[in-house]
Amino acid sequence: MSEAPNQLPAETPSADAIAERVRRDVDRALKRNIKGLDFLTAGRAEVGAMAKDLIHREGTALLYRYRPVVDEIYRLPLLIVSPPSNKGYIFDLAPGQSMVEYLLGRGYDVFNLDWAPPRRDEAHLALTDYVDRFIPDALAKIAEITGEQDVSLAGYCMGGTLATIHASLYPGTGVKNLMLFATPVDFTHMHLFQKWADKRHFDIDEVVDRLGIIPPELMLGAFDLARPANRAAGKMTLWTNMWNDEFVRSYRMFDRWAAETLPVPGEYFREQIKLLMWENALAAGTLEIAGRKADLTNIAIPILNIVAKHDHIVSLEATQPLKELTSTPDYEEIISKGGHVSLVAGPAALRRLWPLIDEWLGKRSV
Amino acid sequence: MSQTPFDPVAQWQQMVSKWEQEINSWSGKLTESEQFSAMMGQATKVQVVAQRAFAEQMETLLKNLNLPSKAQVETLAERLDGLEDSIDRVRLAVEALAGKAAAVPAPAEPRRTKQPPKAPQKAKA
Repeated sequence: MSEAPNQLPAETPSADAIAERVRRDVDRALKRNIKGLDFLTAGRAEVGAMAKDLIHREGTALLYRYRPVVDEIYRLPLLIVSPPSNKGYIFDLAPGQSMVEYLLGRGYDVFNLDWAPPRRDEAHLALTDYVDRFIPDALAKIAEITGEQDVSLAGYCMGGTLATIHASLYPGTGVKNLMLFATPVDFTHMHLFQKWADKRHFDIDEVVDRLGIIPPELMLGAFDLARPANRAAGKMTLWTNMWNDEFVRSYRMFDRWAAETLPVPGEYFREQIKLLMWENALAAGTLEIAGRKADLTNIAIPILNIVAKHDHIVSLEATQPLKELTSTPDYEEIISKGGHVSLVAGPAALRRLWPLIDEWLGKRSV
Repeated sequence: MSQTPFDPVAQWQQMVSKWEQEINSWSGKLTESEQFSAMMGQATKVQVVAQRAFAEQMETLLKNLNLPSKAQVETLAERLDGLEDSIDRVRLAVEALAGKAAAVPAPAEPRRTKQPPKAPQKAKA
């Protein structure tokens, strides 16, 4: 082995530098212990930066409107569809860390279709209920309140898939723009879930028939398998940064969001596995919703596809066929640094992604 | 050229990140195999069956102890959810009626006339 060229020996720090470093580290160690105790005894992290009103409810489906903060807004309202397995406040974590806050300030009228944990009598809810009932009902309510028939539709993860299926079923109607965050379309590239729910070994019918409502632990186990070191490393990083209030605040919010993963209706889960995961029916063009084909070529509206470079849940390949499979002449893609969650609420999102979204959506919202 | 500053905390953090990457990468390779899928399929099945069996045993135990079972608590929780749902619906209906009958009109909706900022003009050469 050859030696690395031009490598200097470690610089010997001065006594003052060492003293300063020791002082700083002792200070941080003390803060770590004090704040560590606070952390262990603290309640749930507060989330939500912006005032919102529940304007429609249909069992598990909750439609919120964030209160506009400026006098003049764009004509088109924006509806963000949350994934059925997660709470929508990932878009509105805290002041300064909220995409909703940013968009409201930029003059958008923001709505969120969020989900409450389904009750046992909602175990029968299927894909059809989400794309052909909950989303259309939310759009109707938005039209009633705003007087606007047109809307921009956005979705995160499976919320994006639901928005995409809806847009394919209702071409030429009110949805004028489609904005997708980490949205799987070609499920053959959902590698982890393909392995976890391998058709040869995973008895989906038994799981759904026995459980009815699918508990979040079932899916969280798959995430942990993909990144088994994440939890332990996250705790170690937290301890290292315990002196840093900003870091701890952010950690607690993300931790709360992950811990509040929702159960999903069994029938929806069964269809997600059988139709999307096993048959790849959306990308293959064979998905049928209430007797109608969800044909992606029906989608001719502008699409902004936002994907994370290091997403270990929804890979780039799973999201990118949107460009080829839809017939839109107006397709843009943003590949952002970060992972599945930091894509929408991490530091890079705040600095770079949100202004790009504003630039794209503003001119299409008039 | 590289110089290593004296910072044990940063070095610890680097070590944690490296360990995390290596474990995750190892796990990634492991999950590629079909044996993994088979194992996961079995594990999920066992988990579901065991969960069910345990729940049934626990149900009997709680009943003997004259305590509410998980199913009863779930039923109660669902009734509460149902009540919450109904209250939301009633509240929305009342608000809609109150809005129509209110002497004071609701706050005005913002004007939907906003235009995107104009792109900066390129200076002519």
